[in-house]
Amino acid sequence: MKINRIYAIVLKIMYFFTHSYDRLADAFYWPIMDLLLWGLTSTYFKNSAVGGSKIIMIVVSGILLWIIVWRGQYEITVNLLDDLWDRNLINIFASPLKFSEWISAFIVVGLIKAALSLVFATGVAYLLYKTNLYVLGFNLIPFIFLLILTGWWAGFFIAGVILRFGSKVQTFAWGMIYLISPFSAIYYPIATLPGWAQKISLIVPTSYVFEGAREVINKGILDYKKLLISLVLNIFYLILALIFLRKSFDKVLDKGLVKVF
Amino acid sequence: MDILQVKNLTKKFAIKNEKDFVAVNNISLSLKEGEILGLLGPNGAGKTTTIQMLLGVLTPTKGEIFYFGKNLKDHREEILEQVNFSSTYTNLPWRLTVRENMVYLSYLYNVKNREKRLKKIADTFHLNNLLDMQIRELSAGQLTRVNLAKAFLNFPRVLLLDEPTASLDPDVAEYIRKFLINEQRQFKTSIVFTSHNMAEVEQVCDRVIFISKGKIVADDTPENLAKTIEICHVELIVKDGLKRTIEYCQKHGYQYKLSGRNIVVDVKEKEIAEFLRGLMDKGVFYDGISIEKPSLEDYFLQNL
Repeated sequence: MKINRIYAIVLKIMYFFTHSYDRLADAFYWPIMDLLLWGLTSTYFKNSAVGGSKIIMIVVSGILLWIIVWRGQYEITVNLLDDLWDRNLINIFASPLKFSEWISAFIVVGLIKAALSLVFATGVAYLLYKTNLYVLGFNLIPFIFLLILTGWWAGFFIAGVILRFGSKVQTFAWGMIYLISPFSAIYYPIATLPGWAQKISLIVPTSYVFEGAREVINKGILDYKKLLISLVLNIFYLILALIFLRKSFDKVLDKGLVKVF
Repeated sequence: MDILQVKNLTKKFAIKNEKDFVAVNNISLSLKEGEILGLLGPNGAGKTTTIQMLLGVLTPTKGEIFYFGKNLKDHREEILEQVNFSSTYTNLPWRLTVRENMVYLSYLYNVKNREKRLKKIADTFHLNNLLDMQIRELSAGQLTRVNLAKAFLNFPRVLLLDEPTASLDPDVAEYIRKFLINEQRQFKTSIVFTSHNMAEVEQVCDRVIFISKGKIVADDTPENLAKTIEICHVELIVKDGLKRTIEYCQKHGYQYKLSGRNIVVDVKEKEIAEFLRGLMDKGVFYDGISIEKPSLEDYFLQNL
């Protein structure tokens, strides 16, 4: 892998980011909207005694941590779509850029933007609700790592689908990650889900992270077993997603990159 | 030395419930260092498919591609650092400025002395006043110039140009043609060139390959290919006897085109003297005469 080529793709995406109001809105506007909507809703629950005293912290930390998954996936798929819409894939792959370097650039951009959105949203959450995500302390590190992995495999899988079917399935770039959100127990414990949904949540790695984060907030205990299960599931899905993406890319090369849009 | 070698290249596309479509059928070709090779053929002949395979963005069904003696499949990155292209079927990211595009591409191709190279390229292709414009703001001609600038950014040893002068004003197109010839002479750049402008191909290319239905049907210099056509175009500005000229052409089976008092008659080169004597015998007088020798376009029209 050559750093200059990864840097080139990162640079291209960052240039695009600065010219694009919709990408800027995605990075800052939607996290604020989520914080306002769900933060105010949980404030109501707290005041009406439906939720516990930590309800705001639980909901707001759920929103903040979900940003990591969402941005990791979003950066991979939407940047792919940008190249599809621009009919720029040939310019990129007729260059010496390797497939792995292309993927690496998306990962780097995903990390930068996830950090940007997370820091910004954490600051807003503190100003609005006096909640501080960093009370999770060093436990945040494994949580963030596992959520990033989920964002990546989801992104790679969706990118594979988009490569195979083109921009006619582009809505997946924004919406497909939400398929796992109800089973991730972002705002509520898994135990409150119906039986069939609880079974699905067992194979969703994010459910273990959000459940674990809630335990840290409520009891101050970190369940390492949950982290391990999440890690194994994430690695398994990541391998599958990368194989699927590579096969999708090979299929596209067989049809011709010029035909993908 | 062959800088590019293509051996038995074939591309088949699967079509649902139908027989595979063979876009490129077992073609072999080579390109020498410093040579400009024209790849010509009617629409759908397989030119673009061939170029895509040469760029590694389409997997061949069969066959091998060698650049600098190395297989493209096994030495992709090393080879593509020394190759570039310009095409009408791709775009640069439209929200980025020309400068931003050139900068990110210079990193992608690991261009040395980046600033100096970008300045030189901008000067050469007259892009200085376009550098801070977004791609979407450019006219078709400006876009073609930017695409060409991109193609030369990395000092390519092999350049694949698919209709590089399309949408350019005649003076700019002529400038580009001279630039290509100069690059070829100065840096021994090897170029594969497609165009629908046959006069341009004759001017620029050292050798021409005609492709039809995925197969190579001719491979020679433009002059030699044109020589295979016997028909010349004799243009007369008839002063007196236009009707008699037409009757004479019809009687002897000469094809002609009429425009006012101008008539262009297709005559075999060796029959020109006899044709003109025949008109004189009929009492035809003309103010002007020009004889156009067979061109690549005539070859194209007659054979494809």
